[in-house]
Amino acid sequence: MVIPAGKWRAIRLNNQVKYLFNNSWLEIACRWTLGTTFIYASYYKILSPADFANVVYGYNLFPTFSINLIAIILPYVELISGISLFLGVYPRSAALIINGLLVAFIVVLTINLVRGHEFDCGCFSPHETGHVSSPTRMVVRDVIYLILGLQVFLFSGQRKLCIVP
Amino acid sequence: MQWRKILKQMLFLFSIAVISAFTINFFSPTGIALVGRWDETPGGVTTNNDTLTDVYEIEHPEIAKQIYDSGKAVFVDSRSYDTYQDGHIKGAVSMPAGQYDGLIQAFGEKYPTDTFIIAYCSGRTCNDSHKLAQLLLNYGYMNVGVFIDGYPGWKVEGYPIE
Repeated sequence: MVIPAGKWRAIRLNNQVKYLFNNSWLEIACRWTLGTTFIYASYYKILSPADFANVVYGYNLFPTFSINLIAIILPYVELISGISLFLGVYPRSAALIINGLLVAFIVVLTINLVRGHEFDCGCFSPHETGHVSSPTRMVVRDVIYLILGLQVFLFSGQRKLCIVP
Repeated sequence: MQWRKILKQMLFLFSIAVISAFTINFFSPTGIALVGRWDETPGGVTTNNDTLTDVYEIEHPEIAKQIYDSGKAVFVDSRSYDTYQDGHIKGAVSMPAGQYDGLIQAFGEKYPTDTFIIAYCSGRTCNDSHKLAQLLLNYGYMNVGVFIDGYPGWKVEGYPIE
């Protein structure tokens, strides 16, 4: 049986993608990038939960009873998952939690993008009143983070610098 | 089973996060109530952390306009300086709530503590005017009010802006 040249190219490309996706240096780069990003993102939210609660309220999506609870819990989920990714403690599970958060962020941002609701992202810092973020840019950024998270989750090789793989 | 293991680990990480969140929030001086006041009708929204009782809230733009026309009050804009420059109530003084520490001394020298002050921000969903009003009360100002509909509420009525 003769395999056509086009199919060979596809197989080679497929193998190259697999090789890249299973590269342990890439895995550690993705894991640390995502880990530090989420630790950093949780910092201001933990320091000023009241400001973050105002940001959550500004999204105009959540029932009022849940706003303070989101503002209290979400930063710590980001922090613990971020530390867990950085140190390599249950990295697949931490990556799955972070991917879940990222999917939720993308859904929330897209809803506000579609309905044209102006709001402050509050992703990394609280802005002073009147600041409005660009949802399109934030969705693109979150999709990039999601790809990093998928790399960490789907990686099947030996992980480098991992305390509890 | 791989998925069961992952699920257990996720639950473990999530539990640590939730337990730390509630514990730290309970003991932290910046901790917030579990349920806030997010209803816009009575005034500004709040996480239920701020003392709003000492602040006089102006709920109707017409009353704010009457005070403005009387010339007895100083209107203080608590939004960021950039937002202030984009448009503000005519004659208002800029004092972003986040920069209070750096600005209060000059403000205090210019306006005596019996000055009638009306703070405002971007409407009922923002909290900066209440924060600033509370800080001004703590500083020693005796007559501090908050115009809760803020700059958008003022502008929509066609009142003087610059």
